[in-house]
Amino acid sequence: MKLTRRQFVVGTAAGAVGAAGIYELVDQFSGGSPQRAAGAVKLPEQHLLEGVRVVRDDGVEVLVPPLHHQILTARVAVDRSELANARVELERELAGLDDDYAPSPAGLGVTVAWGRPYFDRFVPAAARRLLPLDRRAGKPVLIDAERFPSDPEDTRLEQNHVAFLLRSDARDHIEDAAKRIRGTKLFDVTSVRRGFAGGGFDGEQSLPKQMAEAAQIPGADLIPETAELFLGFTSTQRAGMGPGGIANFETLGYVDLRGSDYFRHGTHMHLSHIHEDVEAWYLNFDFDERVATAFRPNLDVKQGTQTVRQGPQDVSSEADVRRDFHSSGRIGHSAPIQTTSRLLADHVGEDGTVFVKGTAIPVRADFNTLDNPFAWSERSDEVGVLPAAGVHFVVFNPTGDDFRRNRLAMDGHLPGGTIPFPPRGREQGFNSVLSTTHRQNFIVPPRRHRSFPLSEV
Amino acid sequence: MRGLLATGLVLCACAALAAGCGEARKADAAPAAKPKPTCAYRAGWQKLADKVRVPVYCPGWLPDPLTSQIGGRWNNINSVSKDRSWLESFVWQETGGGAAGGELHVNLRGYPGRTAIPTCRTGGSDSRDVACFRDPGQTFSANGITARLYRVNEDADTWHALLLWRKGGTLYTLSEHVAPPLTFDHVVRYLKRELASLELIRPA
Repeated sequence: MKLTRRQFVVGTAAGAVGAAGIYELVDQFSGGSPQRAAGAVKLPEQHLLEGVRVVRDDGVEVLVPPLHHQILTARVAVDRSELANARVELERELAGLDDDYAPSPAGLGVTVAWGRPYFDRFVPAAARRLLPLDRRAGKPVLIDAERFPSDPEDTRLEQNHVAFLLRSDARDHIEDAAKRIRGTKLFDVTSVRRGFAGGGFDGEQSLPKQMAEAAQIPGADLIPETAELFLGFTSTQRAGMGPGGIANFETLGYVDLRGSDYFRHGTHMHLSHIHEDVEAWYLNFDFDERVATAFRPNLDVKQGTQTVRQGPQDVSSEADVRRDFHSSGRIGHSAPIQTTSRLLADHVGEDGTVFVKGTAIPVRADFNTLDNPFAWSERSDEVGVLPAAGVHFVVFNPTGDDFRRNRLAMDGHLPGGTIPFPPRGREQGFNSVLSTTHRQNFIVPPRRHRSFPLSEV
Repeated sequence: MRGLLATGLVLCACAALAAGCGEARKADAAPAAKPKPTCAYRAGWQKLADKVRVPVYCPGWLPDPLTSQIGGRWNNINSVSKDRSWLESFVWQETGGGAAGGELHVNLRGYPGRTAIPTCRTGGSDSRDVACFRDPGQTFSANGITARLYRVNEDADTWHALLLWRKGGTLYTLSEHVAPPLTFDHVVRYLKRELASLELIRPA
């Protein structure tokens, strides 16, 4: 097979560092695992990590995400009659991982999320009775993923039974977990998705910058040296991430738990893969336009700033978005999403936690990737030869409809009416440089029911 | 010529793994080691200078296979507007896949009698007036010229890295397309070499 210049260079560079390929470079670039707090409490939620470091960047508090990420998607490989044993066996493996690794970036975060095909095929009666309902939408919290107005027509809506999200600063922790999960023989893996995040906050060259350059991604040399993500802006501002259990089913009152505690401490997860045109972002958008696109128009930010404040006092209302649109013809990215993703009033959770107006609801866990679009897939057309810049977008919301509202707002579909844009218009936030390839929704049960949920009911 | 370029790219890829890209090293080192290149096609540039009645810059070096011959096979735009602003564009394009494919595209411009950055109209549904050259960055000095790098540019300079400077009440630009086989950093190295090779041609 003939290789192109990029294939040749990338292939050899990856080969030079070992069979694990380009992702092994993450360890080399990051110098291995950073110092983190060791111990961590095992929370009833699967989707929350303890021991996450907080740093200040450009005067803003930022959460430092785990360095390494991997997602396995799979089909259940056993019959309904074997579910009871399967549940015990998987839980034994997961409990073993809990015993061996603290649920923190220094250890290992394991989140097991189940798709609608699992509930429909294996536990339909129990699901009808116990799957939580979204009070606002009048639907189950788990709804099928859809193509949004700015999505390409060929965005694949996936039908996986289950997804395992593995997060750690140590790649060998993730590899160990993946091996142990696969070793149960309970699943037929449908895809493997890998990526990385973080670096750069202490002044060193960031991982996305280094990885993009190593892979010779078009536009890699335009990424700022310390950028947290390929597109140059920090996205893990503490105030921009849903705090604690805010995305839990039970916290905000969006969800009817059907008179049962079965799914208390659970949440909803959306998973998608998005290609990013890094070169177009830096060669067609000047800094001010990048700020206006990533955040909101008319935002005064010092040239070269990477971390922009996103606290409750910086939140845009729908009126703000419409006013900005009338003055500039643009809506940005963060601003329209904030019209649906932030609390409109103070809220007291059922455990007494006070969430102030403007607090973010979604708990994001997205990470950059060089998968094109996946590191491995059972479908040959889902594994490109060349690396490609992108993001595996992972977000936890109280319901599928809550995610849907946020994603529609990103396209200008605001609660009070739609601002019309051409599909993927440049004035519509990031959309002109993003291209979504895959989407699926999942339920993340609480830790106690993470293994084949409802199979014991 | 296509074969030469393709071979050069493969060699460059090999060298990059062992001891750095030979092509890039050559580009950085050449001005100091060799006599300054001179305009190889003076007649066409002299004619241009006479027409616009201000000095113009003729490149003494362009990436192979481009030459600076106005009216030559690679000169796809030779334009002088009513206000005497001019654009000379040189392009090589090969649509073959792999190492054989790619594009080299260099633009030189002059805006006689004006030093302000001109305004361009963007396309698309949100079409608006913007500065034609935006996102200024670092400056480079060579050949008596101090030029600033602009990263976001419009019209014929879209998707180009661009150097901009002023002399004698005239705004000048030199830009090159960021496209395979070149990365942005590689284009900047080429621009620096081209800047160092410019020869000022005065009106007769």
